[in-house]
Amino acid sequence: MGTKEEVKQVIVHLLKVRPEEVKDGQSLEQSLGVDSTEMVEVVIALQKKFGVQLAEKEVAKQHTVEQIAQVIDSKRNA
Amino acid sequence: MERVAVTGFGIVAPPGIGKKPFWANVKAGRSSVRKIERYDASLYPCHVGGMVHDLDVYSHVSSRLLQKIDPFSHMALIASEMALKDAGIDLSKENLNRVGIFMGNALGGWLYGETELRDLYIEGREGVSPYMASAWFPAAPQGQVSIYYGIKGYSKTVVSDRASSLMAVGHATKVLQKEKADFILAGGMEAPLSPYGLLCCNTNGELSTKNDPPEEAYKPFDRQRDGFVPAEGAGIMILEGEERAKKRSACILAYITGYGTTCDGVDRIKPNPDGKEAGRAIRMALDQAGAKPVDIDYISLDGAATQEGDVGEVAAIRDVFGAAASKVPASVPKTMFGNLLGASGAVDMITTLLAMEHNMAPPMLNLKEVDPACKGLDYVTDKARPVEIKKALVISRGRGGINAALVMEKA
Repeated sequence: MGTKEEVKQVIVHLLKVRPEEVKDGQSLEQSLGVDSTEMVEVVIALQKKFGVQLAEKEVAKQHTVEQIAQVIDSKRNA
Repeated sequence: MERVAVTGFGIVAPPGIGKKPFWANVKAGRSSVRKIERYDASLYPCHVGGMVHDLDVYSHVSSRLLQKIDPFSHMALIASEMALKDAGIDLSKENLNRVGIFMGNALGGWLYGETELRDLYIEGREGVSPYMASAWFPAAPQGQVSIYYGIKGYSKTVVSDRASSLMAVGHATKVLQKEKADFILAGGMEAPLSPYGLLCCNTNGELSTKNDPPEEAYKPFDRQRDGFVPAEGAGIMILEGEERAKKRSACILAYITGYGTTCDGVDRIKPNPDGKEAGRAIRMALDQAGAKPVDIDYISLDGAATQEGDVGEVAAIRDVFGAAASKVPASVPKTMFGNLLGASGAVDMITTLLAMEHNMAPPMLNLKEVDPACKGLDYVTDKARPVEIKKALVISRGRGGINAALVMEKA
């Protein structure tokens, strides 16, 4: 499974939404109406899952799953 | 001043979720007090209570939202949805800036709070849900109901121990009389049966320790009483001005015609056994309603089942009602399902609304031998009694000597 799919899985599990609700090309805010408090949970869950530190600005509700996956991949490869 | 009408309600309580099962069990005098077995509570001095089951079956709340709120908010959301439906209100046609939410709660959302505290000590700061901040506090349900429906009018949460929700309804009535809102969701919710919540309730010394059998633990006004039994649930009503209710052809269940509240000012826990201030609250409610004691057909008693609480309450009624005290059917329906603390007054109002509708005074259980100091009232025991109830008095009292009384009149 690619990073993008794994990120999606974390979000689906955490927010209790259906996988098809997380739409490609849309930010988490656009597709799911994620608010800033939910985003805190998402960032903590992603840090645990991938073992990387993520800053608030790097992973935000304005980002798509793809963008988040890219940030995580670049940190893992660094 | 415009009369305030009750045009619908939602009930989530141990005897049932929704008015039909709730009333069927209350009318039959069936107890729903049980041993608490969600966790090992056996070492708690009081380990029985009134529990709500099958909340999920009746819930319209998404699992995404459920993980951010405490059960007391969940119960408030379910009761609000039921109340709006019962009153036939379509919120899409309302001016949401003119809709209010008035709730009563005593303890806040302890299940959420204590679970996150455990995580804080085990996992550290990052183990705590960011929703902790908005889930635990007493006004959380008001906020959740407001967010869920986009309600933006004058709203308030009253925290006055067991008198909270009757006071919330009293305040809501005043707001409607001043025409500051079109309609108000008013009531209360409480979830005190979590491990830490129940422990706190136990430490105040007002709970019964006669756990076996659970059904017989709560016996106010009885010689053997030793405290009340806690319960969880929510009761929410729709209140609106008479003119508006009639204009939209709503079914008016009753009018709230009088309300009074006072403080004893004697002790941080116990009420004053002389009942003078409780009596003054009752008198205020009756005066505002333009009712004489002989006009009252039913009294829903607070029934704290403590020495000072019971004796003071009876003294207050005898003082205000005089010779009429022994002629008015009175009961504590809470003996069947426990005391919902901050939500108890609203649930007592709802029970009284159903009693008015069905012309039946609901019974109280476990009154075998009346305490000599509590004699002089016409207690309705064990079985519901056919009575035409046109006007009713509801009494609700809280720790520290808080008294609230409210008069309802059948439409």
